[in-house]
Amino acid sequence: MRSSPLIGIATFLATKILISTLIVGLVILGLSLLIGRYFCGWICPLGTVIDLSDRLHQKFLRGKPNTIRPLRAWKYSILIVILIAALFSTQVIWFFDPIVIITRSMTAAVYPLIAFLLESGLKLLLSVGILQDQLFSLYDLFRQRILPINPIFFQQSMTFAVIFIGILLLGLLARRFWCRYLCPLGALFGSFATLRFTQGIAVASDKCIDCGKCQRICKMDAINADYRSHARSECIECMSCVAVCPTSAISYQLRPKFAPQRIDISRRRFVYSSASGLIALGLIKTGFKNPIATGQVVRPPGALPEPEFLNRCVRCQECVKICSTTGACLQPGLLESGWEGLWTPLVNARHGYCEYNCNLCGKVCPTGAIHPLELSQKQQLRMGTAYFDKSRCIPWYRGEDCLVCEEHCPLPDKAIKFDIREARRPDGTVAVVKFPYVDEKLCIGCGICVTKCPVPGPGGLFLTNAHQQRWGQEAEF
Amino acid sequence: MNRREFLRIAAASGAAVAGGISNGALFGSYDQLESHARLAVVQNGLPAAMVQKAIEALGGIGRFVKRGDVVVVKPNIGWDRVPEQAATTNPEVVAEIVRLCLHAGASKVKVFDRTCNEPRRCYHRSQIEQLARQAGAEVSHIYEQKFKTAAIPNGQQLKSWPFYADALEADVYINVPIAKHHSLSRLTLGLKNTMGIIGGNRGQIHNHFDQKIVDLNTVIRPQLTIIDAVRILVNNGPQGGNLNDVKETKTIIASIDPVAADAYAATLFGLRPTELSFLVEAQKRGLGSFDFNQMKIEKIDLKA
Repeated sequence: MRSSPLIGIATFLATKILISTLIVGLVILGLSLLIGRYFCGWICPLGTVIDLSDRLHQKFLRGKPNTIRPLRAWKYSILIVILIAALFSTQVIWFFDPIVIITRSMTAAVYPLIAFLLESGLKLLLSVGILQDQLFSLYDLFRQRILPINPIFFQQSMTFAVIFIGILLLGLLARRFWCRYLCPLGALFGSFATLRFTQGIAVASDKCIDCGKCQRICKMDAINADYRSHARSECIECMSCVAVCPTSAISYQLRPKFAPQRIDISRRRFVYSSASGLIALGLIKTGFKNPIATGQVVRPPGALPEPEFLNRCVRCQECVKICSTTGACLQPGLLESGWEGLWTPLVNARHGYCEYNCNLCGKVCPTGAIHPLELSQKQQLRMGTAYFDKSRCIPWYRGEDCLVCEEHCPLPDKAIKFDIREARRPDGTVAVVKFPYVDEKLCIGCGICVTKCPVPGPGGLFLTNAHQQRWGQEAEF
Repeated sequence: MNRREFLRIAAASGAAVAGGISNGALFGSYDQLESHARLAVVQNGLPAAMVQKAIEALGGIGRFVKRGDVVVVKPNIGWDRVPEQAATTNPEVVAEIVRLCLHAGASKVKVFDRTCNEPRRCYHRSQIEQLARQAGAEVSHIYEQKFKTAAIPNGQQLKSWPFYADALEADVYINVPIAKHHSLSRLTLGLKNTMGIIGGNRGQIHNHFDQKIVDLNTVIRPQLTIIDAVRILVNNGPQGGNLNDVKETKTIIASIDPVAADAYAATLFGLRPTELSFLVEAQKRGLGSFDFNQMKIEKIDLKA
């Protein structure tokens, strides 16, 4: 993800800050001037998965037209919308970048699914009741190697799966549909590829027997009807045509040749795209954000200040996945922080809490939206503050001891303290009870008290982002 | 209630537990018990040496573990803390007990705990995973599938609760808690360590805690309780984290009576057993006794 030039460029445009990973991206992009859309054919993991699924689709495709060339322009439109939006500080790259899509799909849909199926299979076998000891040791082995220690859950894994499967199913219309017609990263590489100063695929006209095999095998529909020329912006350097040519008329050459081609986007479409980009970002920006929901948006420890966080976060769900096996507090958000915040990680403290000794989310974040913190820093950084709901907390409404929250509070000096007082219970009896309260000066908002509260439903405590401390800022008091 | 009566009640209630622990080794011969200490306290030695001495004083490991037995050694691995923070049982204590059990011919020694923090972190940071495994124990994480709902015939607040099958089915169950501060119950010791083998929503145990914890302990009856007081946590328990709250007491307390062991450990914190209401409740319900005048106690100082 650090290597996707599109993420680097869009983030740069959005934040107006030069980020180091941009350099890697630009090098990779620069190579396109030499070897075209090599990235799409040889590196892109989404492209690889699409190729695999296209193989399954081949049965259905036989004999049907395999090309919808006018759609080629769409990918440029998408690219323009992304860049225009980024220029106006609204980051939407996370929805479209193929590297992000594949990462998100794998972390938030495929991996949990595989884990679930493996686990269910084992449970089913265990319920049969024979070979239990052996099965449990197998289970143990799985847990040590591939399975998470606890089952993992993602809000919206269904959404991510539907998008992923949708992209793969587009292959029924045409092979590599996504890459040919939609992928903005492909569009970026494609535009650079038209400006390449090497030859690439070359056809010896005299040797060509017009058999058309090359055109049929081309995943990208890059080869023109004359079989002798191709669209440089489409060719992904896979060299299938070289391999399939019965007369060896096609060769791959890196000798210098600069012959820029027009890219498939009209001036009118360019203007339309830019305008729609502006309209979309305007609507996103002017959308109403529910103040109650935004007050409960607690970000991972080390998250940058909100506007910059939203620009940097590509919603890859890597932090959510790493968290799911430790504290399990991070979940992809819906509209809690508006459309801009869709799928960004936020704390669901009732489901899980931030492990006091864990700082992995910042370490896996590929874009620096979550700053990698030292453990000692992280343990002092305030994510938010917990508050008691006295109408639900057992000592407060029932006059009985509980103190599970205080027990779990990981701070060496306990951010949850308690008073010992006489209390009149609802039935009129009087008892000495320990009444817990939060010391706002100490609470770092890890949320373990909220997770562990034994009261069903909303619980006796809730977490807000009061006094939160974003990376590089002081806590808000 | 005298000791004889206690043993009779304890044996009867133990036998009442469906699929429960075999108490033969412990309650089979009353006379044999008399010749050994009921409670052993060893101080000022290395953890392993103190464990050896304490078990020796109770009559040796062979009294508890027979050839072929499946033994559960249940430490407190509840928190993601290092041993120096005194929130989890001393790993050397656990390892030594494992070694002794295997030496006595145990076919398998299982070590596990249902942790509060993320299990892998707790197992690793407490060092119990490494040292117990080196000593030959089978250290495994908790499986939801292994919780079986057991009836609590003598329960007052709880009539049934899910327990971990490995603990219910063990031939010998050795409870190895660490002694530390706890805001609700004042201290967490052996009886409360039973929380680590129960399923369900454990937070719900915390109101009417005294009765509920005793209810649970009528089902799980350790043959041997060994309390790690090498370091104790005197404040901000049960997780601690502040090294100023840790006191080095270099003590191992071992007893066949879970109440006596807990009660003696309380004295290290300057508390009288009667100040701990769960111990009062446990004695009243016949789980054991903290009448130190009525039992043979052996105190060993390894420094002397």
